Amino acid sequence: MSPLRRLIATALIPIAMWTTAACGDDGPTFDDNSLVVYSGRNKNLVSPLLEKLKAATGLNVQVRYGDSAELAAQILEEGEDTRADLFFSQDAGALGALGKEGLLAAIPQAALDRVPAKFRGSQGTWVGVSGRSRVIVYDPRTVPTPPASVFELTDPKYKGKVGWAPTNASFQAFVTALRVVSGEDKARQWLEAMKANGTQKFPNNVAILDAVDAGKLQLGLINHYYWYEKVAEKGQAAVPSKLAFLPGADPGALVNVAGVGVLKASKHAPAAQKAVDYLLGTEAQKYFADQTKEYPLITGVATAPGLPALDSLKGPQLDLSKLDSLEQTLSLLQDVGLV
Amino acid sequence: MSATRASDRVRAPRQGGGRIPAALLVPSLLTALLALSPIGYLLVRAGEGGLGTAVRVLSRPRTLELAARSVGLAAVVTVLCVAIGVSLAWLVVRTDLPGRRAFGVLAALPLAVPSYVAAYTWVAAVPDISGFTGSVLVLTLCSYPYVYLPVAAALSRMDPAMEEVALSLGRRRFAVVLRQLRPSAAAGGLLVAMYVLAEFGAVSIMRLDVFTTQIYTSYRASFDRTPAAVLGLLLVLITLLVVVAEARTRGRAAYAMRGSPPRGRSVIRLRAKGLALAWSGGLAALAVGFPLVSIGYWLAGGSSTGLDPGELGAAVVATLGVSAAGALLTTALAVPMGIIAARHRGRTAAFLEQSSYAGHSLPGIVIALSFVFFAVRYAEPLYQRSPLLVLAYAVLFLPAAVGAVRASVLQSPPVLEEVARSLGRRPLQTVREVTLPLAFPGVLAGAALVFLTAMKELPATLLLRPTGMETLATQLWTETGSGAYGAAAPYAALLMLLAAIPGFVLGRRSVKEMTAP
Amino acid sequence: MRLTVTEVAKSFGGVPVLQGCSLVVEEGELAAVLGPSGCGKTTLLRIVTGFEQADAGSVRIGDREVTGLPPEKRGVGIVPQEAALFPHLTVARNVGFGLPRGSRDRVAECLELVGLAGFGERMPHELSGGQQQRVALARALAPRPGVVLLDEPFNALDRSLRVTVRDDVRAALKRAGATAVLVTHDQEEALSMADTVAVMREGRIVQEGMPASVYATPHDLGVATFIGEAVVLEAYSTDGVASCTLGDLPHRANGATGPGHVALRPEQFELSEVSGLSGPSEPDAGVHGEVERVEFFGHDAAITVRLDSGNTIRARTRGDVPYRPGHRIGVTVRGPVLFYPE
Repeated sequence: MSPLRRLIATALIPIAMWTTAACGDDGPTFDDNSLVVYSGRNKNLVSPLLEKLKAATGLNVQVRYGDSAELAAQILEEGEDTRADLFFSQDAGALGALGKEGLLAAIPQAALDRVPAKFRGSQGTWVGVSGRSRVIVYDPRTVPTPPASVFELTDPKYKGKVGWAPTNASFQAFVTALRVVSGEDKARQWLEAMKANGTQKFPNNVAILDAVDAGKLQLGLINHYYWYEKVAEKGQAAVPSKLAFLPGADPGALVNVAGVGVLKASKHAPAAQKAVDYLLGTEAQKYFADQTKEYPLITGVATAPGLPALDSLKGPQLDLSKLDSLEQTLSLLQDVGLV
Repeated sequence: MSATRASDRVRAPRQGGGRIPAALLVPSLLTALLALSPIGYLLVRAGEGGLGTAVRVLSRPRTLELAARSVGLAAVVTVLCVAIGVSLAWLVVRTDLPGRRAFGVLAALPLAVPSYVAAYTWVAAVPDISGFTGSVLVLTLCSYPYVYLPVAAALSRMDPAMEEVALSLGRRRFAVVLRQLRPSAAAGGLLVAMYVLAEFGAVSIMRLDVFTTQIYTSYRASFDRTPAAVLGLLLVLITLLVVVAEARTRGRAAYAMRGSPPRGRSVIRLRAKGLALAWSGGLAALAVGFPLVSIGYWLAGGSSTGLDPGELGAAVVATLGVSAAGALLTTALAVPMGIIAARHRGRTAAFLEQSSYAGHSLPGIVIALSFVFFAVRYAEPLYQRSPLLVLAYAVLFLPAAVGAVRASVLQSPPVLEEVARSLGRRPLQTVREVTLPLAFPGVLAGAALVFLTAMKELPATLLLRPTGMETLATQLWTETGSGAYGAAAPYAALLMLLAAIPGFVLGRRSVKEMTAP
Repeated sequence: MRLTVTEVAKSFGGVPVLQGCSLVVEEGELAAVLGPSGCGKTTLLRIVTGFEQADAGSVRIGDREVTGLPPEKRGVGIVPQEAALFPHLTVARNVGFGLPRGSRDRVAECLELVGLAGFGERMPHELSGGQQQRVALARALAPRPGVVLLDEPFNALDRSLRVTVRDDVRAALKRAGATAVLVTHDQEEALSMADTVAVMREGRIVQEGMPASVYATPHDLGVATFIGEAVVLEAYSTDGVASCTLGDLPHRANGATGPGHVALRPEQFELSEVSGLSGPSEPDAGVHGEVERVEFFGHDAAITVRLDSGNTIRARTRGDVPYRPGHRIGVTVRGPVLFYPE
C-alpha cells in the first residue's frame, strides 16, 4: 500500500499549497458593499478600469472573466440564483439575451440618458459604456486605395484576399445591420458573393488582423480597436496595415457597443448601480478613449487622437439588442453555410 | 496444458459469471450517474424546445454536413494517430533504433502541448495552413501519444512465443504484431476519436467549421440552449456508436495479455535506420520542437510588459492544485469502474464502462453548463468553488483513467485474486491488497495523464472556477484574447513545462519495460 | 476434513458442464480428479472453491455445508497451475497471507514443511519454478484449510523437475495431514501420487477408487483407454471367454455374452521368437506377427507388432529383448482380459 500512499501524498502537496494560498486571501466576502462582475471583456483591457472603480467607489469588486456569450449562457443557467450583480458584456447581443429572459433590472432613466438612445437597450435594461466601429483593415502595400463600402469587397480582384469572422458577435451585428439597411435579399446576395469570392473565415478579429499584417490577406472586416491594441503591443513598425472607416450609412460602418446590465436577482443592486454610474462617468469614459481606443459614449469626453469622431460615423440605424433579428441573422448565416 | 485451460475458460470465463461485489458496484454506479448527468441536462434543455425544434435542428442540411465533417476529421486523425503511435511504439520497443529511449520519452511529450497553443503556433508561423489539413495536422500531432502509450505498453508485454510461432508458419511479422496490438491500438484510437469529436479550440483556430462549431454558435449567437442541447445529444449518439464499434473490435482479445514482461526477445535490426530516425525525429520536431521554439520566439519577441510574477505564481499554484485534485478524484472514481471493466462481463459491466465516456464526448462548455445547472439547483454551496471544478474534471477525463486502470488490472492474472479470496480476503480486501498494488504503476500512469490533461483544460475551467481564480490556461486565454502573444508566452511556456513533467513520467514508463538493447 | 460433493450440476449458457457430479474425499486423503480436456474438472474445482455457484447440488467440508458461501469463508486452500505467488510480496509474506499478522512461527513451519526454510526473505521471481510451486503449497497449507485443491500444479514445470516436485508435494501434504484434491489430465501423475482416483468424463465422475483397482478394473472402455494404455479389439463373448484375433481369452465380465470389445494392457502380452521364419507355428506361440517398431526406454521397451490378422498391438517388455523390426514373433496373452459388451 505504500506506493498508493505516496501518490496521495504527492497529490496532496500542490492541493495543500493551493488551499493555503486560497485561504490566505480570506476568500471572497460578501456584504452590501460587494459587487460581483461577470466580465465578458478581456481582463487585460478592463481590469485596470475595475481597479479604478474599486478605488473610486470603495466597492469590494470580484470579477469573473469569461467569454461574453458563455457568461450569458451561464447566467441563463443560474437564473434566479445567479452570483452576478453586474454583467459587463463585450457586445449588445448577450445583454439583449439576458434582457429578453427578464433577468436584467431596469436602469434608472438618468443613467440611460447619458448615452445616445441607439447605444442602449430599448427596454432600458442595459446601457452601452463604450463604442467600437466596424472597419475594413487593409494592407497599403497591396491595396493603395481602400474600398469605401463593404459591397466593394466582392470585387474579383480581392478574390481569396479578404478575411472575416462569421462566428464573431460583432460581425453578426454587422450582418444584422446589413439586413436591416439593405434588405434580406441583398444581404444574402452579398454573403453568397463574398463566399463565392473566396473570403476566408477566421475565428476572431485578432487572427484577421495578423493575417493582413503578415501579407496573407489584403483586407479584413474587424472592429477598430484591435488595430490600436496591436500597435500598442507590438509597436507601429510591426503593424503595416491601416484602417478604413467607412463613410455614410454603409452597414460596414456600424458602431457597436460594449455595455453593462444589472441583474434582477442581485442582492447588491445599489452597489451595482454605483458601478454603472461610475462606468458612465468621466474617468471611466476617458479610460475607454485613451486605453482601449474605443469611443466614449457620453458627451464631454474626447475621442482618442487619430480616430474619426463618433458623430462622423453615421452608420446604420439599428436596435443593437434586437434578438429576433439576431436569430434571423444566424439562420441566414447558417443557410449560406458560414456558421 | 494451456489448450486445456483455454477451452475450459471459454465455457467458464474466469470471474465473468461472478457477481460484481457491492463495494465496487455502488461507487461505480454513482460515478456512472455523475458521468451521465450532462446527458440528463441536455435532455432537459432539448425537451424545452419540443420535438419541433429538435426536428428543425436535425433536419438542417448544415447539421448533417458538419456532422459528416466531424466524423471524417475524427476518422482521419484517428487513422493517422494509430499509424504514428504504432510505428513509434514498434520502433522504440522492438528495434535497434539509435536513441530509442529518448524517442520513447519524446513520443509522450506532445501531451504537454495544449492543442490550442499548437494551433496558434502553426497558424502564426504558416498562415497558409488552415482548414481540414491544418486541423488534421495539429490534432494528430497533439494526440498520437494516446495511441503510442498503450501500444508501447502492450508491445513490451507481448508474448514473443506467439510471434515466433506465427513467423515459423510463414506469416509476416508485422501482420502478426498488428493483430496482437489491436485492442490497445483501438483503445487509444477511441480516446483520440472522441477527443477530436468534442474538440473546438484548435479547430476554430484552424478556421474549420465542425460539429462543435454549431454547438458553440448556438450558445454564442442565438443564446438559445435548445438547439445546442439537441446537437449535443446527437454528438453523444455519434460517440456511442464509436464506443460500441471499439468494444466490438476489442472483443475478448484484451484478455490475451501476458502477466509479466517476457524475457529474451530479440531486438529487430532495422535495415532503413536513416528513414526510421527521420520519421521519429521529424515527428518529435513537429509535435514538440516546433511549439517550443515558437513559444520561445514569442517570449523573446513580445514587447508586452507587465508580467506580474505574483499573478504567474498564483496561476501555477492554482493550476497544480486543481489538476492534482482532479487527478486524484478521477483516479479514485476510475478504480472501481476499471476493475469491473477488467474482471467482469455482462451488461452492467459494459454499461458502466461505456457510461464513463459520456463526459469525454461532449465539448467542455456543455459539461460546464450542465454543472452550473445541477450545482445551482442541488449543490448550491459548491457552486463556483473548486470542488465542483474538480468534479467536472473527473467527468471530462474519466475514460482515460478508467482505461488505464482496466489495462493495468488486466496485466495481472485473476488467479492471484482468487488465491487471496481462498486465503480469507473479502472482495474489497482483495482489491486493496492484491489488485491495486499490482496495478499501481498503470493506475499512476492514468493519474499522470489526467493531471496533465486537466492542466490544459480551458472551457470548463473558465465557467466553473471560483471567481477570481486564474489557472495558467485561463491566463493564456486572457492574453491571447487581447492579442498579447508576448504576454501569453510565459504562461504557455510554464504550462507546457509543468505538463511535461507528468508527460515525461509517462514516456519514461513506456521505455522502462522494454527489453534491453 | 472430509470433502463431500453431492450431485452438483452446472451449465454455462445452456451448455451443461457438470451433470450430477458427486465426489467424496476422506479426511487426510489425497484424491486425484482425472479427466481429459473440457471434462468439467476445472469447473468442479471452482465450485468447490466458491468461484462459481452450482446450479444444483451441494458441497460440504467436514460437517459444514459451504454451498452458498463466498470463497473467503470456505477454508479451501488452492495451489494454482502456475504457482501464482503474489509478485509484490516476499516469500514469507506470501506464505503468511492467509494468517493473522505476526504468525512468524507458522510461516517458518510451513516453509520448513515444503523444504524451503530460510527462503522467507526472497522475492518470488528469485525462485525456480519448482520452488515457487512449493511456496504456493506452503501458502495454501498455512491457515490449515479443510481441503487443499491443486489445479494441474505441475504443468508449468520441466518434465525432469516434475517427478521430484510431485514427491515433495505429496510428502508435504501427508506430513500436514491435509485433505487434498489434485485436478489433472495426466494419468501418470494421478496414479502415482493419489490415494484415490476419480475419473471424470463429460461432467460426471464415472469411476472412483484406488489407483490400482481403477487400472485393473476400468468401469468401461473409455476409462480403460484413458487410464493407462490399452489395446482394444473387437470380440465375441460366450461363457466368460472372448473370442478375438488373439484367440479365445478368458475375461472377468461374468455373464456378459454377445459382441463387444476386449481391452488388453501392454504388459499382458508375452512375445516369443518363432523358430524359423517360415516354419510351422508352435501351439503355445499364440498368433504370429511381424515386429514393426521397437521403442527402447532402458528399463523397459515397447514393441509394436503387426499381427498376421491385420491388427496392430503395442506390448511392454523388458528392456533387453533382442527383437528388431522385421522379425517374426509369436504373441500370447497372460491373465484375464477386460471385456465390454456393446
